[in-house]
Amino acid sequence: MADAGRSLKPFYLLLGAIVVVGAVLIAVLAGGPSMPQVVSSDDCPAPAPGSPPPQGVTLGPDSAPVQITEFSDFECPWCARFAILTEPDVRQRLIPTGKVRWRYMNFPLPAEEHPNTAAAHLVAACAQAQGKFWEMHDVLYMNQNDWAGEKNPMRLFFQYATRLGLNTDSLRVCVASKRPWPEIQAEKCEGIRLGVQGTPTFFVNGHKLPDTSVPAYDDLAHMVDSITAATAAHPAARRAR
Amino acid sequence: MRHRMAAAVLALCGLLVSTYLLLYKLGVIGSMVCGAANPCERVQASRYSMLLGVPVAAYGVGGYVVLLALALAGLQASQASRPAITRWLAGLSALGVAFSLYLLYLELFVIHAVCRWCSVSGVLILAICAVSLGGLVALSRAPAP
Repeated sequence: MADAGRSLKPFYLLLGAIVVVGAVLIAVLAGGPSMPQVVSSDDCPAPAPGSPPPQGVTLGPDSAPVQITEFSDFECPWCARFAILTEPDVRQRLIPTGKVRWRYMNFPLPAEEHPNTAAAHLVAACAQAQGKFWEMHDVLYMNQNDWAGEKNPMRLFFQYATRLGLNTDSLRVCVASKRPWPEIQAEKCEGIRLGVQGTPTFFVNGHKLPDTSVPAYDDLAHMVDSITAATAAHPAARRAR
Repeated sequence: MRHRMAAAVLALCGLLVSTYLLLYKLGVIGSMVCGAANPCERVQASRYSMLLGVPVAAYGVGGYVVLLALALAGLQASQASRPAITRWLAGLSALGVAFSLYLLYLELFVIHAVCRWCSVSGVLILAICAVSLGGLVALSRAPAP
């Protein structure tokens, strides 16, 4: 133990140097996932004859008398407002009645307006491949303020994915391959074809709600009740639709 | 003292490696540098990367913090000739070696992918165990103060 009395200062300096080098190495190795290079386009080719329209992501039974379609953008504040304030009620109170089939259609606005929205739509579609679209949908809207201004939001998206219990390995492969992008773009093109000019835009049984309207839950419930009452009174009307 | 210095340096390196693994698991890091097929991510994506609801890498971080603290405490003059800290270092690192061998078994025969960073951690904990055992031998041979 002859060295016990020696100054430990050089040794502590060595430890400090290891910490600094290690931290730098981690920072270098930790380059987050890169942004997928996808561009939301408004140029839509005519759909091939006989090709089925894009389906979006749905909740509720196929046979529901009221079909509500929402065209939405993950980076749009009004869409977030609707998703946070109204949609929970729709899911808890309206969908379980069996009267409504809700359809979410991707409508990513151009990158000039919403630079991170294409990546968010891609991540949500990849979460859908693991059966967790709605969970990712909710997290993205709830945390929109956090990721919308990020230069590269992928780090946050993967944090959300980890929190949701998604297989981030598969998610990473899906995002890198951009596999769901054609479907996302097809949904947007369907919206453009139907006259969607902004988000969110809602269609109730094929009828577009006014562009200025982000419906409250009570408005939607009232519409659903009116339609189901009318359908019950005039079943032929439903068959004719 | 030298074996405790060596243990401290090795524990600090292990702490950095396990921190890297934990940051990935927590989603702070998007991807790991681990070769073309990225077996590290495959291992980290497996259900064996969690133990009792806690990422395995977190146990590594905790273990290395304890080993580092012990090794640094053992460098204080009052502890220099006392073998207790070296015994703790040897005992805890032996547990770490056993746990690393269990993880290696899972990687080889269950997950079928070997995480290189986990292997680096395994080598580091083995080295800590070796220097601690060497230190115990040296302390037992040293003349009483």
